[in-house]
Amino acid sequence: MDYARPIMWNVPHWAEIALYAMIPLVLIAFFAGVVWRVRKWSIGQAEPGTLAPGGQLLRALAPLRLAELVKTILFQSRLAGDGFSIVMHQAIFWGMVVLFLGTALATIDQDVAHLVFDAQVLRGGFYRFFELALDVFGIALIVGVGMAAYRRYVVRPKRLEATRAGISLWDGFPFLAVLFLIAVTGFVAEGLRLAEGFHIESQAAVAATRGPEARRASLERMGLRERLRMGAERQEAELDRIARGEPVFPAAAWAPVGFALAKVFHPLSVGSIRALHQVTWWLHALLAFGLIVAVPLTKAFHLISSPANMLLRNPAPAGRLPVVAESGVDTVRDLAWRQLVQLDACTWCGKCQEACPGHNIGFPLSPRDLVQAIGAELLRTPVRANGQTRSLHGEVVRPEQLWACCTCRACEEVCPVQIQHPRLVVDLRRRLVDQGQVDEGLQEALMNLQRYGNSFGQSPRKRADWTKPLDFKLKDARKEEVEYLWFVGDYASYDQRAQEVTRALAKVLHAAGVDVGVLFEKEQNAGNDVRRTGEEGLFSMLREKNLKELANARFRKLLTSDPHTYNTLKNEYPSVGDPPNGDDPLAGKPVLHYAELLDELLRQGKLPLARPVDRTITYHDPCYLGRFNGVYEAPRRVLRALGVELVEMPRHGPDSFCCGAGGGRIWMKDTPGIDERPAENRVREALRLPGVECLVVACPKDLVMFQDAVKTVGAEARLRVADLAELVNEAIATSSEPSTLVETSHDRTG
Amino acid sequence: MNLVVVVRQVPDLIEPLEVSASGTALDYETASFVVNETDDHALEQALLLKESGGGTVTVVALDYGEVDNTLYTAAAKGADRIVKIARADDTPPSPAASAAAYAQAIQPLGPELVLVGIQAHDELDGVVPPLLAARLGMPYVGVIRGVKRGPEPGAVSVCKEFPGAVMARLSVRLPAVLGILGAEQPPRYVPVSRIRAAMKTAKFDEVAGAAPPPASRVEVCRLYPPPSGARAEMLSGTESELAARIAEILAEKGLLK
Ligand code: SF4
Ligand code: SF4
Repeated sequence: MDYARPIMWNVPHWAEIALYAMIPLVLIAFFAGVVWRVRKWSIGQAEPGTLAPGGQLLRALAPLRLAELVKTILFQSRLAGDGFSIVMHQAIFWGMVVLFLGTALATIDQDVAHLVFDAQVLRGGFYRFFELALDVFGIALIVGVGMAAYRRYVVRPKRLEATRAGISLWDGFPFLAVLFLIAVTGFVAEGLRLAEGFHIESQAAVAATRGPEARRASLERMGLRERLRMGAERQEAELDRIARGEPVFPAAAWAPVGFALAKVFHPLSVGSIRALHQVTWWLHALLAFGLIVAVPLTKAFHLISSPANMLLRNPAPAGRLPVVAESGVDTVRDLAWRQLVQLDACTWCGKCQEACPGHNIGFPLSPRDLVQAIGAELLRTPVRANGQTRSLHGEVVRPEQLWACCTCRACEEVCPVQIQHPRLVVDLRRRLVDQGQVDEGLQEALMNLQRYGNSFGQSPRKRADWTKPLDFKLKDARKEEVEYLWFVGDYASYDQRAQEVTRALAKVLHAAGVDVGVLFEKEQNAGNDVRRTGEEGLFSMLREKNLKELANARFRKLLTSDPHTYNTLKNEYPSVGDPPNGDDPLAGKPVLHYAELLDELLRQGKLPLARPVDRTITYHDPCYLGRFNGVYEAPRRVLRALGVELVEMPRHGPDSFCCGAGGGRIWMKDTPGIDERPAENRVREALRLPGVECLVVACPKDLVMFQDAVKTVGAEARLRVADLAELVNEAIATSSEPSTLVETSHDRTG
Repeated sequence: MNLVVVVRQVPDLIEPLEVSASGTALDYETASFVVNETDDHALEQALLLKESGGGTVTVVALDYGEVDNTLYTAAAKGADRIVKIARADDTPPSPAASAAAYAQAIQPLGPELVLVGIQAHDELDGVVPPLLAARLGMPYVGVIRGVKRGPEPGAVSVCKEFPGAVMARLSVRLPAVLGILGAEQPPRYVPVSRIRAAMKTAKFDEVAGAAPPPASRVEVCRLYPPPSGARAEMLSGTESELAARIAEILAEKGLLK
């Protein structure tokens, strides 16, 4: 026989009315909360060169983008790599989704199907399945919440630990507690309802000993007719069914948790069961309403803001830093609206903090706290400007925090909701620079760059001095056409050790017959790091000067030594905007890092590799080559072709750990009181690899940083820092040409 | 407080200096110019004084070298007024002529305090500041590291450095000329965007140069780079060859047994 979900079982009529009366209030409160949060986003600035929020939304709703978002949400795929976290999020997320959908379905069932059509959707097999699903996902929710609580309050990983006054690990507690209670009260109410069913059945069974009529009469006496909320005809049928000795709730066994609880509650009297049921029913409803109202007012808002943020994300390449105002950000009102959405989207998971080299080595920096602190300031800021918006500099964000960042993008890479921390840092730095607040080392570098176009304070005329010891002449790209214009960069040009690498690369290119030329003294620092210190005006100036030189040169492709240079030439030098500027000297010209060029030469069989390099090495992914531009495989293919044994460090590829040079940090003074420098941390990681004798880099700044760190940790005898280009040069060098690398390994064994 | 700062251009030492064909002066043709470091400190000190209690800062400079860049930078840093003294030829004049030109430009400004770098590195004996003070008829104190307002109105309190790292705090009645060695804090950084903005908005008051003073009684007979290399032996070779040679030399000198 067909049976359906009982409607408003044991719920007095007044309670039902009260419940329905509350629904619009709850919805109004919820939407008012959402509007309050979303309006805060409107105090942000428009972003030049990007669509307005409306246009963004339209584009975001494009099927591909939407599909990506749905996938991200459904599988919480940005959490990849942390099993516990995935299970926890999936359990809570799906638990909530299914319970919510179940409740919605039940509402449709009783308010549309039942009230309007006197029929029910939740009936028969579907109803049984419904009961089972709700129980299973209710358990999932409890497990998920339990896992979250376990992690927060028992394991207490550092990334969730509060490091700022005013933020506590317990902030998330009410939310977890409410979720837990909603699931529990749901189960208890179900158990109590089923327990009452048992009582009805046993009473009816007693009466049945006096015949079927007596059973029917006893059901009527118990008031079962009034308790079955349905049309008279269905009521009659239902009473008949139960009078035949069938269970009051035939699907009871399909709700295993409720069924088990019912067994526990059975010994209680009918009166207590009913009273308790009403109380739990109300609790359940009120908690659920409370949760809905609280969503926009608490951390749970990330249920809305995180997907919104992902939909509205800027599709520009990671390596192109947006500029809203050259003079940077003072108050939250100076941030771009997109950044405000990002602040709201933060789930306080702390993954960024865990990945942050600054934080790891004891710098006063946590990207999580930065986002949280500015996010809290956003909530305190009224939508209407009242002329007294507090500056973010000082109490909210301290300069030391901003200067500690090496713009390595590790945080952005791991952030499950795609928050752009380095952008935030640079925006705030711009204001410090605008106010002339820069550290001594940085000031010297910036003044040198203003005046000489290099951070070393060396004569621009000496820029190409590294070419002098070469026994061939490099082409002058200002005078003759070349295939590759080699933009060498400051460190590769002026640093003594890096010069060796630059020459090694020149030799390799020469041997491979690559048609390459340089700009000699007309090249200036490309400005990647200048821009990231916040000196936007200086960056523009350097860019203009370099573009002018590039416009005068004839070349087909750009080649760089330095991944920092590579990033800005590739992502920030070409004019952006619609339509692209026709005079753009870089239009249609690919930019290659030399690792990519070597890889290409290898594929074309143009690298005259003569002898295998028999060495066990590890490779460090430069931030601006890897995380910013996705070049991970090219250098590895080259290394493998050389015959080296490549052992990966635990943190490699997108998880690579910054050497600490980026974002202008290479120019700044060391922060006092840190545990170790990032480069030292990284060198120690390489030293822990068995048999690894060489740390291979593909960035002149890495070379400088690691070479130094190898000395300071006293590992000079055990680990050599060498550049990819040097290894390639070693593999192609004729035996008459002594290789510095071979010599060193000699020294060590001899 | 009405503050005047003298800012000079000097050859940038990043490029090797050359002596002109006359053999008595630098070849300014091949040199590039930068702001004189102690003058930059003088400007910083003036700005700090203004910020600590109001006033105006007027920068006075002779027109040669890359003076415009320097002046725009000064404007971007907060100088209120800029006076550029015309100069026929693109080289620094003699100290006496410089002092005369600055004095003539500064006199009408009626300054309470004139700050000038203690010395320019292409200048003989750092005579410009005292000569300027003499021409303005003001007292002069040099080798100053830091100037504060007070202690009483119409005076400033300065820190003067003596040899042997002895410091003295003096009260100087105004008006006066101070030869600055260092400001209370290093010269500030001014971002390029502000300099570029100043290039668009800053106006220079251009004034005529002064009549050249009677010829100096000190004359440069010959200017030349220090004789080098006579005693130095430049070593070259591989690391181990170098080490061996150094050991040999030390042994020759009896420093190694
Ligand atoms: S960019 Fe790197 S250093 Fe800066 S906050 Fe992010 S992880 Fe930390
Ligand atoms: S910024 Fe991203 S990674 Fe960091 S705590 Fe917030 S959500 Fe997590």
